[in-house]
Amino acid sequence: MKVVVCVKQIAQLGDEIEFTDDERDVDPDYLDYALNEWDTYATEEALRLRESAGEGEVVVVSVGSEDSEEAMRRCLAMGADRGIRIDTEERLDPVRVARALAEVVRAESPDLVFTGVQSADSVQAATGTALAELLDLPRVAVVTKIELGDGKATVNRELEGGLVDVIEVDTPALLTIQTGINEPRYATLRAIKQAEEKEIDVRQPGDLGEPAYGVRKMFVPPKGEGAEMLDGSASDVAQRIKEIVEERTG
Amino acid sequence: MARDPKYDVLFEPIQLGPKTMKNRFYQIPHCNGFGSEKPMSQAYFRAMKAEGGYGACCTEYCSIHPESDDTHRVSARLWDDDDIKNLGLMCDMLHEHGALAAAELWYGGPHAPCMESRAVPRGPSQIPSDFEHLTYAKEMDKDDIREVQGFYVEAAKRAREAGFDIVYVYGSHSYLPQQFLTPYYNKRTDEYGGSLENRARFWRETIEQVKDAVGDDCAIAVRMSTDMFMGEAGTQLERDCLPFVELVDDIVDVWDINVSGISEWGEDATPSRFYPSGRLLPWQKAVKDVSKKPVLGVGRFTNPDLMVEAINGGSLDIIATCRPSISDPFLPLKIDEGRLDDIRECIGCNICISRWEIGGPPLICTQNATAGEEYRRGWHPEKFDPATNADNDVLVVGAGPAGMECAMVLGKRGMRRVHLVEAADDMGGIMRWIPELPGLGEWARVVNYRKIQIDKLKNVEFIPNTELDANGVKDYGAEIVVIATGGYWATDGLNGATHDTIPGADASKPNMLTPEQIMRDGKEVPGNRVVIVDNDGYYMGVSLAEKLAMEGKQVTIMTHLGHIAPYMDFTLESPNMHRRLHQLKVEIVTHQVPTQIANGGLTSAYAFAEEHLTEWEADAVVLVTQRRSNEALYRELKDKVGIDTLRGEGITGFYRIGDCEAPRLTADCVFSGHRLAREIDSDNPEVPLPFKRERAVIEHEAVLTA
Repeated sequence: MKVVVCVKQIAQLGDEIEFTDDERDVDPDYLDYALNEWDTYATEEALRLRESAGEGEVVVVSVGSEDSEEAMRRCLAMGADRGIRIDTEERLDPVRVARALAEVVRAESPDLVFTGVQSADSVQAATGTALAELLDLPRVAVVTKIELGDGKATVNRELEGGLVDVIEVDTPALLTIQTGINEPRYATLRAIKQAEEKEIDVRQPGDLGEPAYGVRKMFVPPKGEGAEMLDGSASDVAQRIKEIVEERTG
Repeated sequence: MARDPKYDVLFEPIQLGPKTMKNRFYQIPHCNGFGSEKPMSQAYFRAMKAEGGYGACCTEYCSIHPESDDTHRVSARLWDDDDIKNLGLMCDMLHEHGALAAAELWYGGPHAPCMESRAVPRGPSQIPSDFEHLTYAKEMDKDDIREVQGFYVEAAKRAREAGFDIVYVYGSHSYLPQQFLTPYYNKRTDEYGGSLENRARFWRETIEQVKDAVGDDCAIAVRMSTDMFMGEAGTQLERDCLPFVELVDDIVDVWDINVSGISEWGEDATPSRFYPSGRLLPWQKAVKDVSKKPVLGVGRFTNPDLMVEAINGGSLDIIATCRPSISDPFLPLKIDEGRLDDIRECIGCNICISRWEIGGPPLICTQNATAGEEYRRGWHPEKFDPATNADNDVLVVGAGPAGMECAMVLGKRGMRRVHLVEAADDMGGIMRWIPELPGLGEWARVVNYRKIQIDKLKNVEFIPNTELDANGVKDYGAEIVVIATGGYWATDGLNGATHDTIPGADASKPNMLTPEQIMRDGKEVPGNRVVIVDNDGYYMGVSLAEKLAMEGKQVTIMTHLGHIAPYMDFTLESPNMHRRLHQLKVEIVTHQVPTQIANGGLTSAYAFAEEHLTEWEADAVVLVTQRRSNEALYRELKDKVGIDTLRGEGITGFYRIGDCEAPRLTADCVFSGHRLAREIDSDNPEVPLPFKRERAVIEHEAVLTA
């Protein structure tokens, strides 16, 4: 049984930021990096499936620069077996990322492909779906539970308002994994050290095709005047809220 | 990050007499145990706040003459030229950071027991001190009054020479000038007693004389208690204080406003258990309403919004802090830089004050392990040298106060990776449930601050829900292992009075409980009548008594000591704690030693006559007898697994900190974790490095042959 988990090293804003000269991105000097939170859950879920099956392989794949191997190594420290990095310095849109991943993932012939529901920095929730399309795999998004069967899986899909959709999907399939599906294990220092030593297979991307979109500008939205700040004790504030509601609702 | 403009008012300069203070942050006069005789510790301690952005820093109460000797408690002194030299260093270091220096000139009168000088204090009337034992003052005649006023003048001149910018004529907390003002102390029938004008005369004249002597060069500060809460006998706001302010406002440059007398000065230095921040604001505002001069005062201010409100609301011109400046000397700078979540907030435990009350030791702080260590250990609260052995991974087992502090400081010192591993689902250890005792909510700041800091540290990872056994620790992959597994309350009645267990004591039974069983584990306290056996001496017994009485139980608290919770005398919490227990009808029993616990009750013996037994009915017995270390993991690793085996696994450092080494105050647990982390790269981190001691060292042969 083989699960391929596509992971991303995401950028985190520091307390202060500046933009690049072309105003299309945040200056990397002001960014910190970390493994995308959703990918921790996805990796954990893959490890659990491998453990239930008693055999199998969990392969993590990522698209990024050499620095992004740090995030991949977290997954290896958790227990993933192998890592493949598709090398690029560019920040790619979800469709181009999916194109970069597709060739590598297809070659692995996985039973399941996991991505996170979304990444914490771009927050587009598109890569997984795009990848499923390119791989011609059935896909279920926002998965909160997985039960593997023979040639199929029964999965829970999270909807609005606390509703859960239970879906049966043929495997191989691509699932986008929601946070909270499990409790990710922590890696001991020994595992982290061992992961440091592991070799990550580096590939060059194939044809990434046309961009799905172009960024015109990135900026901090101006602060509006709209909010009235309410000060004072709890009972003062409550009184004022009551007045405002009465004023506005007439 | 930038300052939020709503805090701009805190950074506006203000004129105090001939001096300009650069902002509104003022470190109020307060004790630190250093005085004039540990001048390096004194100067470094005060200067740290100036570095942290304070616009002015004060000495503690500064004795003007050997007749005002507070031994065993430690005051500063300006008795002679050598004291000028010693305190001059403090002034120089403050000035280097652009802060003003203030000397709180003090004469204690009957409150000064003179146990070192053996001098005789003078006072308005001959009444023994309500604060000290066996201390009487000489009743002052007119010559005495002139002489003592002369002491103030000479001391003020010495202060000026040392470099002080602000000189106090200090009366608050019932010291000499306030004694004259207050009927409780002043029974005189001459022109220095009786009417307000007469009672105010001594203080007014002293201010005039000091101002005459140094007023062109120094700002004159007057510190006054506005109300002693003693009814007619004490100083009262309307009757005494406000008229006095109006009387001398012209000759005062800045007012420093307090409440309370000395014997219950916890009404002023408010423990968080009983009062929120800003308790004094109404009195401070009352003075500000009648004065044309700047008004400053304390209120355990940690929140910049409250500070701004105090100024904009017309209660204060200057925000003074004592305890919040101890827990975070860099409070002003952090507000200025918009780093509010880096502020290490005071928790109002008054552990700092307790050291002065005990008399002798330097202050300590639960939140700030570097308080008092600025000189003698060279610790800076915001600066951490990179560890020379940073190329190591550290495992800290246990995320209580010691473990959190250790992991945090190791992180700040740049250790390659620090894993803080905790069996429970969150950080905090005992500090998760202690703040749930009545009134102690602010104590949770110990955890909150460290959580935020650890979260920011990229090289520190917090791993909850993980209980490591000896093999787990051995195989974890760390080069340095720190065990911080805390302590527990004895379940068998083991105690420091008998050094034995209590026959029948067994907290595995439903009718016997320990503090953590109640607070952390939710074990039910059965029935209605509860007896708490308290051999601890600090807050645990009485806090549980309060909690259970509030829940409707009938509570008896029993101690072998002559006094319940004696340490709370030092933290100024006793008077209100007694009021509270009385209100809740808690029965306090002293000098009783339990001899047997059975179903339905316990038997105790009178401490001084073992044959005198008393039977107590109890549905539940709470054992607050003593604490023990949770040292099982440490012992297994050291004794069974062995240091050699650990070394074979690559573990080159193996230590333990906090309660699992020996139970101690939370302040000392935090210190324990901090010290190990600061010294993790010393030759033998297990052994604390020697600290500097300020003392005279003689060349004894030279002395003998001289």
